[in-house]
Amino acid sequence: MFTALGDWLVQTPLHTFFSDTTKMSTWLIVPMSQTIHILAVSVLMICAGLLNLRALRIAGTRETLGKVASNVMPWTWGALTVLLATGIVQTIAEPTRELGSTTFLTKMTLVLISVAIAAVVQNTTKGDENYWERTAQRQSTVSLLAVASLTLWFGIAVAGRLVAYAT
Amino acid sequence: MFDAINGLLAWIDNTTFAENVRESLWLFPTMECIHVLSIVFVVGSITRLDLRLMGLVERHRSVTELSDQMLPYTWTAFIVATIFGVLLWSSKPIAYLGMAFFDVKMVLMALAGLNMVFFQLVTFRNVSLWNSDSIPPFSARFAGAMSMAFWVSVVICGRFIGFV
Repeated sequence: MFTALGDWLVQTPLHTFFSDTTKMSTWLIVPMSQTIHILAVSVLMICAGLLNLRALRIAGTRETLGKVASNVMPWTWGALTVLLATGIVQTIAEPTRELGSTTFLTKMTLVLISVAIAAVVQNTTKGDENYWERTAQRQSTVSLLAVASLTLWFGIAVAGRLVAYAT
Repeated sequence: MFDAINGLLAWIDNTTFAENVRESLWLFPTMECIHVLSIVFVVGSITRLDLRLMGLVERHRSVTELSDQMLPYTWTAFIVATIFGVLLWSSKPIAYLGMAFFDVKMVLMALAGLNMVFFQLVTFRNVSLWNSDSIPPFSARFAGAMSMAFWVSVVICGRFIGFV
């Protein structure tokens, strides 16, 4: 399915435009898109770090988890929006390399799981800032989610860089 | 002087390590991955502080609270990024020095460092006077803006090195 999508994208005018390296204006599209992508990853990783280290009670314990979530989640969603937009540009520019790569598809799967975890933490703390700290069981659960989330985001960043080397 | 530098660069270029990095399929990507991830943490953590210095975010928190929280991560990530950056560079030292984006990146990092030293030695000395101000004085806002501009430019140059 993804290979077929890649084959279709190759034939689109947008792909021709994004991958045209004969003109400076179009040659700049992919590297600039990748630069913005990396800057958005910086924002995302710091937000993920702040939220998950607070969930693990390693840092930021002066504020409730709900308060930290309400501070960092708007930035997280903003960064994810930028990542999606620049990611789409890069996929259209190089559809075969991206969509035909197991590394890329693994990265996308991990992204979906990580976003789901972040959304769960955000939504559960919206009505009750101390939701995850009310019982020992909830504290254990959110600690597990935080470890999973940190591992996943780290894996996503590594996979993202390795897509460049995928054949 | 130049002969000595050229000799040193040629020696680095001919080391077994440089040869191994050039020939290995996984060594360069692995080191690059660690380098890029460290840069991501450097830029992300310093940006949070820069934005606070500019009075744009988390105005309810003191500047020192944020700097105490973020700078240990910034420095750790910076040390890792530097170590792996040097290792990556040593795989093709002459070729990298011949790339304008690489040279500009080094200059920008030096400027970011100078900006930080000036900030620490001059502006930050009287931080107690404006630590909790929602909008810090012009010198602090300026230092934050310059730091952000330098680091974003470092990332731009770093990415473009891969395209030339």
